[in-house]
Amino acid sequence: MSMEYNGTIVNLKEKEYTEEKKRAKRKTTTKIPVKCRQRNRFIPGFLGGVALLSVLSLLYLDIDWLKMLSRVPDIGEVFWELAHLDFSNMDLILSSMVETISIAELSLLYSLILGILFGMLAARNIFRIPVLSVLVQSFFTFLRAVPTPVWVLLMLVCLGMGPEAGVAGLCVHTTAFFTKSFAQSFDSIPYETIEALEVTGTGRLSIFFNAVLPAALSQIVAWAGMRLETNFSECAILGMVGAGGVGYVISNSLQGYDYGTAGVAILLVFLVAYCIERMFVHIKKRFY
Amino acid sequence: MEAILKFDQVSKDYPNGVHALKKVSFEVSEGEFVSVIGPSGSGKSTLLRAINRLIPVSSGTVWLDGQAVSAQKGKKLREQRCKVGMIFQNYNLVYSLSVLQNVLHGRLGYMSGLKGVFGLYSEQDKQEALDLLEELGLEQFCYNRASDLSGGQKQRVGIARAIMQKPKLLLCDEPIASLDPSSAKTIMDLLRDMSQKRKIACIVNLHQLDVAVKYSTRIIGLSKGEIVFDGTPEELDDRTIEKIYGTSRENLMMGGTADDKADTVDCA
Amino acid sequence: MTKRIPLIARDLRKLYTGFLIAAVVLFLVCSFLTEFNVMTLIANGDAFWEFITEDFLPPALPKSSRIPGILSSVLVTLALAMSATTIAAVLAFFVSLFGSEKVAPFPRAARFVRGFATFLRNIPALVWAFILFSSLGIGTGVGFVALCITSFAFMVRAFVETMEDVSQDCVESLQAVGATFPQRVSQAILPSCLNGFLSWFLYCVEVNIRASTIVGMVGGGGVGLTLFSYIKSFRYDIALSIILLVAAMVIVVDQITARLRKEIMK
Repeated sequence: MSMEYNGTIVNLKEKEYTEEKKRAKRKTTTKIPVKCRQRNRFIPGFLGGVALLSVLSLLYLDIDWLKMLSRVPDIGEVFWELAHLDFSNMDLILSSMVETISIAELSLLYSLILGILFGMLAARNIFRIPVLSVLVQSFFTFLRAVPTPVWVLLMLVCLGMGPEAGVAGLCVHTTAFFTKSFAQSFDSIPYETIEALEVTGTGRLSIFFNAVLPAALSQIVAWAGMRLETNFSECAILGMVGAGGVGYVISNSLQGYDYGTAGVAILLVFLVAYCIERMFVHIKKRFY
Repeated sequence: MEAILKFDQVSKDYPNGVHALKKVSFEVSEGEFVSVIGPSGSGKSTLLRAINRLIPVSSGTVWLDGQAVSAQKGKKLREQRCKVGMIFQNYNLVYSLSVLQNVLHGRLGYMSGLKGVFGLYSEQDKQEALDLLEELGLEQFCYNRASDLSGGQKQRVGIARAIMQKPKLLLCDEPIASLDPSSAKTIMDLLRDMSQKRKIACIVNLHQLDVAVKYSTRIIGLSKGEIVFDGTPEELDDRTIEKIYGTSRENLMMGGTADDKADTVDCA
Repeated sequence: MTKRIPLIARDLRKLYTGFLIAAVVLFLVCSFLTEFNVMTLIANGDAFWEFITEDFLPPALPKSSRIPGILSSVLVTLALAMSATTIAAVLAFFVSLFGSEKVAPFPRAARFVRGFATFLRNIPALVWAFILFSSLGIGTGVGFVALCITSFAFMVRAFVETMEDVSQDCVESLQAVGATFPQRVSQAILPSCLNGFLSWFLYCVEVNIRASTIVGMVGGGGVGLTLFSYIKSFRYDIALSIILLVAAMVIVVDQITARLRKEIMK
């Protein structure tokens, strides 16, 4: 190949350059390194750690893979059965679906109000009582850390079967989620905005409702949309741990080998979840 | 001189009904510096990407170095792409890798599959890449992340990557559109020097009419997917400009005029 | 009241009014459909309080012979979440390579890949668990597969979006260089998207810790099953201590992932 382009500049710097080359050589015998000087050295370690942990986990779980594999053909059979949709119980499925959606909606709306209230308490820039916000935040962190079905189960014990238990149980987790995210949104509002009202001698509450809340509204709507998806899928599974709704229909008909009905219900769950997702994507595209 | 690139009645229709190219035919020979000008949406980018088949053409044939690119697939196509370097408006570097790694990407097409996957470049290639970076004045940034560089430096890395391919043809898709005027001049000078020294034919998409006039040996004017002008910069008169852009010269933002061509010779 | 500082534009206000009306209408309709009334909650308030103070508090420890079993069930839950997420992430990485029109070697297939992932994702993990229980029987293995399915589908979507955001340009440039598809993956997609992928992976671990507890409740094993059995046998005070344990587990994992994420994004 032609090297004629290594013209004058190279000759001038040749000395300096060979020095550098030597330095490079000393570092790694004969090879010229190619990688970045300041690359993230943490990532390879992280990947190794994750791989190791996962292998250990799999060993610890001690799953009987052979037994599972031998039953794999059964999966195909179950799906085949599920695909034979049976619409005869449509009224039951639809009514339970409506119930599920309503529970999801209601818990979302109640939690929205509660979340704004508690978010106000948890935000650091509204009442400026650090103890209060720390207390509220840690309490809701605890509530959020416990999975929703556990709350629903406990509510079932207190309130008995019915939508009340579902709504109340879902509300616990949703409110905790909203409190944290709303507090974050409120905190991100510039201090000047609050100050502007403060100098006019406005009370804390009216500062909140007049300045902070409207400014955070677009984020609140975004959080609510995101939560609707989660709430629906949470709500759909509530039936499986003993509450009502479409989850109950699915688990009941699966356990009773009524695959046709279960297939319809699962399909319906999928369709509603998909519609909610699409709707949300659409809204996000239009307004952000 | 031998034609490196030949377009023979090439058309491209997009599925949405846009006719980006309409029976375009032209030839490019060794050592030429061709600017393609035209308004946005006139098919400049499509024309360039048809050459290395980043966009497949609908009809007609693109001949590259005596072989039809438009018919090839898989390995043959990659071999053809090796011969064509490409420079992008947004530099298209891998920003988390080192500058040297980015330059060495130019050799990937020549390497066996697995070696390329693991980035095991030969020492000769590495040395060459270092030499090239030195020539472009980037030797102190060899081991920096590509994201740490400025726009003009990033584009120089892009040029180095293309040169590493030892291409016969260099495609530049608006190489200076995202650069400040001074870096833009550096880049255009570099492109011209590289193409002259290494006898690489160069096809440059440009929005800046004055730059096209100043640097190129030949200008192709595209309008609505058709070639409306093909000639030397001297032949580009006001009427042709109007034909290309659909508006008169006064309505165009122009840096210099065709007259300051004289001092470009000194720069070279 | 001082004068209002206008913080939102008029069209936004219209939007918010629309949302508000929709919310009120939805509220009324849903309340009517489910016959839900907050007042019943409030009326039941003292029963509620009684339950909390008498059955629930104070948290009690189970028999000391049971404690090692409970701790190992926590480990099962953690192991389940960890291994399922990792396996799902590896699979999702390879599948997501084919899920984007702009990056994949077969653009036509991308639509189907994404559609498949959407289907898997929109059916909750617990439903998958139930479907699998009826074919594979109850056990930890089924919980593993069910978690894998949903987190796989979630990560396929997240990975495809990351790829389209970050590496579309450099993939094009490597294509122009004549690189093969595996070369493009290892030299362009992987280096530029790895942080993003890992960040999504960590998020998935967080989600799966909760999900594996839930899947455990219906038969997947782990701490969920233990908790469920205590609730079913009315030992709420012991259940409370297990709930506290679960909460501690989730919070610790969240803290760790947050720390790791910061480190990765450096």
